[in-house]
Amino acid sequence: MKLIFSLLFSLLLGPCTAWAAPSADEILAASDAIRNPGKPFSVTVTLTEFQAGKQVDNSTLTSYSRTQQPSGQFASLIRFELPARDTGKLMLKNGNDLWFYDPVAKASVRLSPQQRLLGQASNGDVATVNLAKDYKPTLSGQEEIQDGERQKRTAHKLTLAAVSPDVTYANIEMWVNVENNRPIKARFFSESGRLLKTAYYRRYQPQLGAERPTETVIIDGINPQSVTIMRFSDYMARTIPDTWMQRDFLPRFQPD
Amino acid sequence: MNIQKPNHSASPVTASEARQSFTRTTRCWALALAFASALPALAADAELDALNLESAPEVKPEATRGTKLFVEGALGSASQRYAPDSRNIGRASVDFSYSGRLAPGLRAVLSDRLDYFDPDLAGADDTVNSLREAYLSWQPEAGNTVLELGRINLRYGPAYGYNPTDFFKDGSLRVLTTADPFALRENRLGTAMLRGQYLWNGGALSLALSPKLEDNPSTDGWSLDLGATNNRDRYLLALSSQFSPRVSSQAFVYQEEGRSATLGLNMTALLSDAATAHMEFTRGSEPSLFSRTFEANPEEITRNRFVGGATYTTLGKLSLTAEYQYNGFALDENGWNSLGSVPAQLAYLDKALNLQELASRHAFLIYASQQSFILKDLNLTAYLQTNLDDNSRLAWLELRHHWPSFDLTFQWQQNIGNASSEFGVLPDRRVLQVLGSYYF
Repeated sequence: MKLIFSLLFSLLLGPCTAWAAPSADEILAASDAIRNPGKPFSVTVTLTEFQAGKQVDNSTLTSYSRTQQPSGQFASLIRFELPARDTGKLMLKNGNDLWFYDPVAKASVRLSPQQRLLGQASNGDVATVNLAKDYKPTLSGQEEIQDGERQKRTAHKLTLAAVSPDVTYANIEMWVNVENNRPIKARFFSESGRLLKTAYYRRYQPQLGAERPTETVIIDGINPQSVTIMRFSDYMARTIPDTWMQRDFLPRFQPD
Repeated sequence: MNIQKPNHSASPVTASEARQSFTRTTRCWALALAFASALPALAADAELDALNLESAPEVKPEATRGTKLFVEGALGSASQRYAPDSRNIGRASVDFSYSGRLAPGLRAVLSDRLDYFDPDLAGADDTVNSLREAYLSWQPEAGNTVLELGRINLRYGPAYGYNPTDFFKDGSLRVLTTADPFALRENRLGTAMLRGQYLWNGGALSLALSPKLEDNPSTDGWSLDLGATNNRDRYLLALSSQFSPRVSSQAFVYQEEGRSATLGLNMTALLSDAATAHMEFTRGSEPSLFSRTFEANPEEITRNRFVGGATYTTLGKLSLTAEYQYNGFALDENGWNSLGSVPAQLAYLDKALNLQELASRHAFLIYASQQSFILKDLNLTAYLQTNLDDNSRLAWLELRHHWPSFDLTFQWQQNIGNASSEFGVLPDRRVLQVLGSYYF
């Protein structure tokens, strides 16, 4: 009789348990889909830098992004808009294929990831990269945390380990809202375990068919007084051929 | 009127640092290690404080898109090897570039620079205009095919100091306003051509046809100077391949009227998270640099050109590049010594500069750039070019501070070597300059 009750109990609760507890992979994929529209798109990015709470710099970029097939690699072509001295310069990121292009000098320069880490370009990883492709997530439970707008949220805590040696961050901790899979916060670590960045995803607004974060607050891991806010606006679905995401296209790029 | 010819005595004025301008386009956020010991509690507080910060207002990029304009002024002094007094350097420049959409898929590109020199250099106009680019680009909606017609600055080659696979570089400099090899590329004239390119995922094939339009370079400061860039028929076929995200290459067939084809290859590779490598190679038949300088009917010889180098970037934002350069068409040490007189040596060097060629058989370059050098908005760039045949050197250093619309730059150049060496024979011994650039 006890066995029968057990079986019945399992049969009844089994599907409910599976429904109530999505896998870490599913949570991460759903979170990626919120940050990144599934189709090619462009977005205007306003970067504001702060030191000790004081604004020290401000720049504007336009990012053209798509997922490459069949690799599934998320690729971005970034055009610098402001400040004026940088207008028209381009940066291409297609995995570890990184290029900088200056339209005046006609110079395409291959960058190493460490060169990219020197500047704001690396913050693009935090905001827009598809993590599910390069990381194996593990669900570490649920936590109550404060989101980017200082609201208490219940979140899945995911621990992400890199599956490819080519990625910038060896490990990532990520908190995803249990109610809607919105990413709330992430901490990015080096291979040695050093905290490199903390990111808060906030100001959710409807963009390209879903509620997406329109701001990412990025706090430097070594000096938390160094903060960058990335504001995303003017999301637009675009036709972006995969042939754009290569060095030879950079001199041909025509913004419209 | 006389055009201002590029020559080795000209001084570094503009420093547009194309090679690592990515470092100034991107703002620093990685910070001093001195903060590494910050207490976790303080970090948590700072995190919460960060959430109170608000983004700057969004600026619609349409306001500036497509147009770039800046003015620049330079003042300086050069100590001279063959005169007791220093010479003064003064320059004012207006630099304009525009890229606009005329119709779907059709774009117009215009790029021009006007330089005014005071005092003017001997035998040169005080005002020189360089129409660098003026062309139409047609790109059908699919985006895989491009056709372009007009004056185009078509440039290949990943190397820093010398680019054998940059086939349209010769004769392209109207004025020499800098010793920075990368800034030189910004100021050069494009070549009138018809260019087509087809792209696919992971590669591209392009063909450039450049006709002869004039016989000789112009001496008029306001001339389009098509004779400098289009004084013979030539074509360039280029095949680009992306072998992997870590390795890419470009293979070339280049031919000029009356000469056999030159074959070329360049490659770049990602060696590690912090290191990249590059190489360029060409093999072809043409007159030697000596013959081009001194002989009326020079004979062709078959030689190689090669450049190989690597760049390493430290966590401290210092990028270091080492590069070996070889030019089989240049004079070796014995050939250089046989030139004998200073005028002959200077004539040879002027010809090399005009052709954008390496004047020595072997050379070595060390190039360094440091973003946020001492101050957040201060960038340091320096290089040392060494002639491996006579051990003479050119040392160059630039400190550039950025403000939102203004750059203040200090430049120092030193030509080092004995009196009969490549850099020791140059008229300027040391050049110091201050530049101000305002961006609209």
